[in-house]
Amino acid sequence: MMLLSRHVRKRQFAVGIGGLAATAVAAGLGVTMSQNAVPPESRVAGRPVQIQGAGFVSSQTCRPCHPSEYASWHGSYHRTMTQVATPDSVATSFDNVRVDEVPGEPMRLQVRGPELWAEFNDPDGAGSPRIQRRVVMTTGSHTQQIYWYATGRSRMLGQLPAIWLVEERRWVPRGAAVMRPSGPPHSETGAWNGICVACHTTDGRPQIDTPFGSRPVTTQSASTTSAEFGIACEACHGPGAEHVGANSLPQRYRLHLTGQADPTIVRPDRLDPKRSSQVCGQCHSFWEFPDAPSERRANVQGLPYRPGDELAATRFIVQPTTNLESDTMKMLLADDPRFVRDTFWSDGMVRATGREYNGLIDSPCFTKATDDNRTLSCFSCHAMHRARDDVRSVESWADDQLASGAQGNGACLQCHARQDVSAHTHHRVGSAGSSCYNCHMPYTTYGLLKTIRSHQISSPSVRVTIETGRPNACNLCHLDKTLAWAAETMNRWYATPVPALTGDDSVVAAALLTLLKGDAGQRAIVAQSLGWRPAQEASGTAWMAPFLALLLDDPYDAVRFIAGRSLDTLPGFDSFRFDFVAPPQRRAAQRVRALEIWRDTRTRAGRAAPALLFNPDGTFNAAVIDRLRRERDNRRVTYRE
Amino acid sequence: MTDYARRHIRFGWWSLLVFATAGLVLETLHGFKVRAYLDVSNETRRLMWTLAHAHGTLLALVHVIFGVTVRGAGEWTGRTLRPISSALMGASVLLPGGFFLGGIVFYSGDPGLGILLVPFGAVLLIAALFLIARATGDTKTPPAR
Repeated sequence: MMLLSRHVRKRQFAVGIGGLAATAVAAGLGVTMSQNAVPPESRVAGRPVQIQGAGFVSSQTCRPCHPSEYASWHGSYHRTMTQVATPDSVATSFDNVRVDEVPGEPMRLQVRGPELWAEFNDPDGAGSPRIQRRVVMTTGSHTQQIYWYATGRSRMLGQLPAIWLVEERRWVPRGAAVMRPSGPPHSETGAWNGICVACHTTDGRPQIDTPFGSRPVTTQSASTTSAEFGIACEACHGPGAEHVGANSLPQRYRLHLTGQADPTIVRPDRLDPKRSSQVCGQCHSFWEFPDAPSERRANVQGLPYRPGDELAATRFIVQPTTNLESDTMKMLLADDPRFVRDTFWSDGMVRATGREYNGLIDSPCFTKATDDNRTLSCFSCHAMHRARDDVRSVESWADDQLASGAQGNGACLQCHARQDVSAHTHHRVGSAGSSCYNCHMPYTTYGLLKTIRSHQISSPSVRVTIETGRPNACNLCHLDKTLAWAAETMNRWYATPVPALTGDDSVVAAALLTLLKGDAGQRAIVAQSLGWRPAQEASGTAWMAPFLALLLDDPYDAVRFIAGRSLDTLPGFDSFRFDFVAPPQRRAAQRVRALEIWRDTRTRAGRAAPALLFNPDGTFNAAVIDRLRRERDNRRVTYRE
Repeated sequence: MTDYARRHIRFGWWSLLVFATAGLVLETLHGFKVRAYLDVSNETRRLMWTLAHAHGTLLALVHVIFGVTVRGAGEWTGRTLRPISSALMGASVLLPGGFFLGGIVFYSGDPGLGILLVPFGAVLLIAALFLIARATGDTKTPPAR
C-alpha cells in the first residue's frame, strides 16, 4: 500500500512537472506568435523597407545597453524624420478628412483599419486622373510633415500634393511650403527613393535601376532599402555589429572600469573637432557626388562615408569660397547655372537651412583655430543626447538639441571669456543686444518657412550688407534704423571703417530697403524679423503693419506666409487671420483688412519718421515706396532646402 | 529541528519587514518623482533596485514557508537542514544585496560590480531549492485525520 502510494505520488509529481513545462512552452509560443503578427519588413511590398546588413544592427540592438542614450534619441526629431505612416505616426488626422489646399479637386483622406489612404489627382498621369493610393511613409515631424504614397511601381514613392504644417496645424499645397516661384504643380515621385533616403534614413540605398532623373520616373523601378528609417544610432556611431559582438561578454566591464575608448564603435564627441563636425556634416551640408560612378556605387551599396572618416574623401562639399573653380563645381554649374547662387550669398556664405556644416567650416572659430580644445565644432553648442543634469524636458531639448550650457552666451564664453560683456556689446547685460548669438549668428538663413541663425560665425558689417545684400545683425534688430546709422555706430564702437553709402542707405531704414528691393529670400528674412520680439522691442511696432501688409501681396508663397505670421504678432492683430494660399482676390481683401486694423489701432509712434517712409503729416511716402518696389530684385529664387 | 524552523520563520518575517519597507521607499521615490531614481538615464538603477526589492520580498516568504515546512516535517535531520539553511540565508543576502549594490553605481545599461554577487546568490538559492525538493521526497506524509 505504501509502495503504491509512493508510486502514485511520483506519477502525480511527474504529471505536475510536465504540466508546468507545457505551460511554459505554450507561453513562449504565444509570445513568438504575437511578435509575428506584424509581417517582417522583407515581406512588405510597395514601399522602401528596413533591412540591416553591412554591419548595421539597428537602434533596437543598442537600446538594452544604452537606455538613456536610446531614450533621448527616441525623443529627438532625428528619429521621426522618416516613419512608416500609421494612424499613430502621422501628425494630423486622416480620418475622413477633405483637404482643399491642393491644386484642382480636393484631396480626401481615409483611415482603413491600420492603413491610411488618400484620393487625389495623379501628378504623373496624363490629364491628372483621380487615383486612390495607400499612404505609407512620412517625412518630418517637427515643423512640417510630408506624406508619401505607394505608387504601385516597385518600391517607388510619390508625394501627396499637400503637406501638414505642425505648429500652424493646417494643410498647405506642397509647392507653397518651399521658397520657389509660384508655378504649375510638379511631380515629386521618386524623390524619396533617389534623394531623401540618403540623409533621412540610416544606410539608405536607393537601388533605382537607372540614375534618378535620367529617365521619366514612371519608367524606373526602385528596390530601395535602408538599415533603419530616420537618423538612428548608427548614422552617427557607425555600424554596430562589431561593437555588439565585442561587448556581448562581461569583458566590457574592463572598458567601464578603465574609461578606455572602445575601438569597435565611433563616439563623435571623442573625435577631433573637424572629424566630429563631419559626422553632422554628412547630412547638414550642401554636397554632391564627386562623379557619376560614385553615385552609382552609392545607389547600390549606400553612401561610403562612415563616422570618423574624412568626409571630403567621398563627398564633394559645395563650398564656393574654396572650390568654386574646381572641375566638379564647373560641371555642376554647367548643369545648373543657378546651382551656387540659389544656396549661397555672393560672398560664399550659405543661405539655406540644413547646411550648417557649410557655415561652420568657413567660421573663423573653425578655420583659424590651432588648438583642438578651442576649435568650434557642432558639439561646442549642440548635444545629441540630453545630458543627465539637463533640467529641460526632452521636448524642450529636442527643439534644437542645444547643450544645456549653450543656450545663452555660455557657448561662446568657453573660449571668449570676458569679464564685462556689456563693455564689448555696448548693450545692457542680459539684453538681446548682449547675446553673442544675436550679433554673430543672426537669422540670415532660410528654410522650412522660417529663418534660422547663420551657422557661419561673423561680425556685423555694413560693407558686407552693401556687397552681398545680406542684412546685418544690427539692422535686423534695429529695423527702424538706416545702414548709415549702423555704420556710424560700429565706427564709433569698434572703429570699423564706414563704407561708401548711397542716398537711400542714409535716409531709409535698411530693413525697408531690403523688404522693398530685395529678392524673395531677403524679403523673407526681413518679414521674419518684423515678427521677432527683440526687434519689435528695439524698433517699436507701430509702423510695421503696412509694410507687412505690402508683403501679403508678394509673388512668393513663402514670403506671404511669413509676413502673415509676423503680422499676427503685432498689437491689434490677435484675431486677424491671413490665408497665404487663398485666391488673389481674397488675399487682397485680407490685406485691406490688415490696413484697416492698423489705421484703427495706430498710435502716434513712428508717425513722422522719414526713415520709415512716413511723411511729416503721417501719410505714406508713396513716391519713394513705389520707386523702391520698382527696383525690386525679381530674379527667380529657388532654395535647396 | 525546532531551532531551524524558528530561525527561518523569524528571519523570514523580519526580512519581509525590511523589504516591504524598501518597497515603500521605492514608492516614495516614485511619488516625489526623484530624478536619481526615475530619470530614464537611471533606468538601470530603477531596474536593479526593483529587482532587489522583489527578490528580497519573495525570499522572505520562502524562508517563512521553509520554516513552516520544517516544523511540519518530522523526519528532517540536522545534517539535511544545515546546508539548506545556510544556502537560503546566503541567497537572501547575496541576491537582493547584489541587485541593490549594482544599482548604486552603474554604467549606462550595465549594473555596477555589485551585480557579481547575484549569480552566487542564485546558485545558492537553486541549491537550497533542490535540497528542499529532494528532502520533501524523503518525508513521511503525516497520517490523515
